[in-house]
Amino acid sequence: MQEGRVLPAEQVNRDLLRSILETPKWFWPVVGILGLIVLIAAIIIGYMINRGLGITGLNRPIFWGFFITNFVFWIGISHAGVMLSAILRLAKAEWRRPATRAAEVLTIFSLMTAMIMPIIHTGRPWRILYWAFPYDFARGIWPNVRTPLIWDPSAILTYLTSSTLFVLIALIPDFAVLRDRTTGISHRIYGLLAMGWEGNARQWKLQIIAGVLLSALILPVFVSVHSIVSWDFGMAVAAKSWHSTIFAPYFVVGAVHSGVSAVAFVLILLRWMYGWQDYIRHEHIDGLGRLLVVVATGWFYFFVMEVIFGIYGREADEIAVRSLQFIQEPFQAWTIIFIVTTYFIPVALWLTRRARRNLWIMSLACISVNVGMWLERYLIIVPGLANRTAFTFSWNSYVPSAYEAIIVGATFAFVSMLLLLFSRVFPLIPLYDIKEGDILKNESVKIGRRVVPAVFRED
Amino acid sequence: MSSHSESHYPHDMWVFPDAQSTTQDVARKTASTPGILKLGLAIAGVLAILGVVGFVLRMTSDGFSDYGAWGYYAAIFSYIFVITSSAPLVAVAFRLTKSHWRRPISRISELFALVGVVNVILYIPLIYLLPPINNPNFVPGMHGELQIRKTIWMEVPFGAPHLWDFLGIISLAVLSLIILWVSVVPDLAEARSSANGWRSKLYTLLAGHWYGTKKQWIHQKISLALLGALYFMMVVFVHFLIVSDFAMSLIPGWKDSILPPLYTVTGFQSALSIILIIAFTMRKWGGYEKYFGTSVFWSASKIQIGLTLLWTYHLFAFFITLWYGRMELEQNILRYLMFESYSWIFWLNVIFIFLIPFWILVWNPVRKTAWGPALAGIFILVGNLLFQIRIFVGAFNAGDIYHLGLFRVPPPVFPDVWDVFIVLGGIGLVAFIYLIGTRILPALSVWEVKEGAMYQKMGTLYRGEYLVLAKPE
Amino acid sequence: MAKRPILGLFKDANAAADAGDALKSSGVSDRDIDFLTDAPYPEGAFGEREEKHRLYLFPFIGATLGLSAAILLTSMTQLAYPLVTGGKPILALPAMAVVSYEGTMLGAILFTCLGVIFESRLPKLKSGLYDTRITEGYIGVLASVEDGDLDQTTGILNQAGAVDVKTEG
Repeated sequence: MQEGRVLPAEQVNRDLLRSILETPKWFWPVVGILGLIVLIAAIIIGYMINRGLGITGLNRPIFWGFFITNFVFWIGISHAGVMLSAILRLAKAEWRRPATRAAEVLTIFSLMTAMIMPIIHTGRPWRILYWAFPYDFARGIWPNVRTPLIWDPSAILTYLTSSTLFVLIALIPDFAVLRDRTTGISHRIYGLLAMGWEGNARQWKLQIIAGVLLSALILPVFVSVHSIVSWDFGMAVAAKSWHSTIFAPYFVVGAVHSGVSAVAFVLILLRWMYGWQDYIRHEHIDGLGRLLVVVATGWFYFFVMEVIFGIYGREADEIAVRSLQFIQEPFQAWTIIFIVTTYFIPVALWLTRRARRNLWIMSLACISVNVGMWLERYLIIVPGLANRTAFTFSWNSYVPSAYEAIIVGATFAFVSMLLLLFSRVFPLIPLYDIKEGDILKNESVKIGRRVVPAVFRED
Repeated sequence: MSSHSESHYPHDMWVFPDAQSTTQDVARKTASTPGILKLGLAIAGVLAILGVVGFVLRMTSDGFSDYGAWGYYAAIFSYIFVITSSAPLVAVAFRLTKSHWRRPISRISELFALVGVVNVILYIPLIYLLPPINNPNFVPGMHGELQIRKTIWMEVPFGAPHLWDFLGIISLAVLSLIILWVSVVPDLAEARSSANGWRSKLYTLLAGHWYGTKKQWIHQKISLALLGALYFMMVVFVHFLIVSDFAMSLIPGWKDSILPPLYTVTGFQSALSIILIIAFTMRKWGGYEKYFGTSVFWSASKIQIGLTLLWTYHLFAFFITLWYGRMELEQNILRYLMFESYSWIFWLNVIFIFLIPFWILVWNPVRKTAWGPALAGIFILVGNLLFQIRIFVGAFNAGDIYHLGLFRVPPPVFPDVWDVFIVLGGIGLVAFIYLIGTRILPALSVWEVKEGAMYQKMGTLYRGEYLVLAKPE
Repeated sequence: MAKRPILGLFKDANAAADAGDALKSSGVSDRDIDFLTDAPYPEGAFGEREEKHRLYLFPFIGATLGLSAAILLTSMTQLAYPLVTGGKPILALPAMAVVSYEGTMLGAILFTCLGVIFESRLPKLKSGLYDTRITEGYIGVLASVEDGDLDQTTGILNQAGAVDVKTEG
């Protein structure tokens, strides 16, 4: 797994800071288009707040539709950061190096995007302050702690804060590099952010320990966030097919599945956009593909458990929902697409080395996973709420409006725009991580005629 | 250039066995029967005999018609099954992740395949004990009772569940034995020339075809990878079958999708723990300290603490989902299994599987020792036994299994002397067979350790001395 | 007498390690020698002193504070205006456990980050002797020596292969 060449520090700086120190021609037009899409969505949101949620397709009893699906989807994407950064760091996998910062930053922006969804979904977003902020704004009533809808903001804000701090701490040495490479106001700002970093042994030691310690601390947070989001559904006893004990690990593994696929896709894009062939190599995408086979299979196990035990109780209400999901149109078609795109097509591709090392195939596989995982959340939420059970007088169908579709599409534009803007001011591949990898891989072991690449291990 | 390089590791962190002497050393240790091993065999044998006595007396006093009396038997079967079926996964999983630290412990984990045969035998009484899925007393028009009790076998196909569960257990036993054989062949081939008597005949029979050609090594590697992946999926599947059929389905109204994963995680956690305990024993008293550095324990303990947290997470997810809705039937399940009937065993379960191991393993200096993970492992094993007792004794004594739900909370069932004999006997039987197995097959994977010795060495970088780890792929 | 900083810049890590050895041989304490690099080298790679720290205290302190705050928040707010929701008790321990868990982790992580910055002796308000070439891959050997030893130290660094030697002022 040591396919890259050892590059001198000046070249590493030059290559990885290119996105900051130079502006590619395509950059501002692309950001402009993405910004326009976001602006249109913002206008629609304003219109929605003005006119009310009636402009969406939501209606009794399907009160949760595209927005909540999108909320859960982006929370899912946010799990990639910790998966790649924390778990691979703790496992001392060398191939994590170029992926960690992009994954962590994707986490932060995904979380921010996810949080927007329930906020606009309230119809009157300012009221969230009264419901969720721990203060008795009116008549001495405090937020109700006994609901997953309050556990959600506590978990998401904890995760967002933790991820942001994790990225900032890890960025300090890179701020120092930028401080040394810039002049004028940029130099002052980077200098402030670098806080006087000089790169002595003490500072590096604490950086490394911080990476490991924060990874170990963030992992439990990452597990808890999507578990709590899953309990928004799992706790409910009224919506059949939601009340399942497995929702927590099922959602977490699904989040890892979609998140890691998203990061793999982002890495392939970055490699192409910035010419980082020396840093994001086929071996990294190959490693991600192999990891995804395991994660996808784990996800599939939890999915099968969820379906089997849904039917296990043989309750008419739940059987009706399952029948709606798997047998009746239009959901049957979406379910088939979901299962095929989430598991069978990608895993079949990822099982072959050739496919894993083909960046086009990997991109398509990763997009396929995310399409499928978006559908998965939709198929959990909407059929469950549709209430198509016997002797029910308030069932309905849900047809998403164009406004919802535009807002959902704009979230992808929003995250992409934020990532691009981030890459303009901060390096998306941690410089010192790459350089450390080069330092550690200077040794090799000779076995007979073969020279086997090796690394130094500090612990 | 001055050369005062200093190692940053504890002195026994990394060991680099000498490839030349490893084969003879391990063969000699395999053929010997030291005093402590004889004592272990004697104790295990006595316990196994007690188990047989307990089983026979239970059979004569209660027969197989009243399955409620056999709750503790089911619990010890499940305990043995979940641990011994999960144990080979330690070798399988960490071979797949190419973790070098698994090398000294991989054979310890694979040897549990020998106990897989015991699972098949212990399962046989359960075939007679498990009540039918169809309600024999059902009359059309009856209220409050089910014609078919809740089960994963929705349409009750032929042989469900006994036959399929049995096939699952046999498959696991056979597959794990094949993995063991594929893995042990190179070691037996090396030892066959120096072995005497029955060992020589046995080794020639099992490994006579092996010459260590490149093709054979490549085939072995691919076989272990494919069989391992298949075994992994089979284990998870059979765990799902056993816990659903022998626990969940027997408590009316208990619909719990997280129970199979929780059961599997309990198995992984306990399997890793018992392997670390054996590794510690081998290192401390077996003369294997040349082969087990503390790095093995340091790496494995991180997995151990991770599994401990994962277990707690699954348990909490189960609990809070049932707790939240305040539905009477679900509250009764919680009262039965956690807070009333089996409350003391539940809290002890949590203390032994989570609280104590977590506070042992959370300290990095303790994780870097051999005794730390082994000590945590002992508590985990006790905690797992309590878990199995709570779930399976509870399941076997939950009352009318054809009811719609648990409308009243049944009282706990305490063990009588035969139950104690059965439980101890099961543990003794496993220990006995395992210890015998270590005298037949080498308890250290010699070829893997030698392979590791090729890839690991100490190297100097400027003024420091560090481990150099080769990555062949 | 006050010590003065002196910085030697090396292109090669071996040369920097040689310089460190030479400085120690000439009587400079290893507490007065620092190696400035643009990437983390394995601990002890230059023969530098072992850095002791108390970073591990910070997560424990933070976790304790976070847990206390969360327990107080979840219990006192619910008792202030007791409102039974969904048949659950006012002080619902499982629900409090979830929020308390998040509070504990947030406290631990916040304090860990503070601890990292604090133990790294950041922010450094007064900029010390430094060279921007360090982030281009050069290795800085920063020593604090007596005024009178500056020339000797300059000689040692040059002899070890320094491409540049800088002193303050």
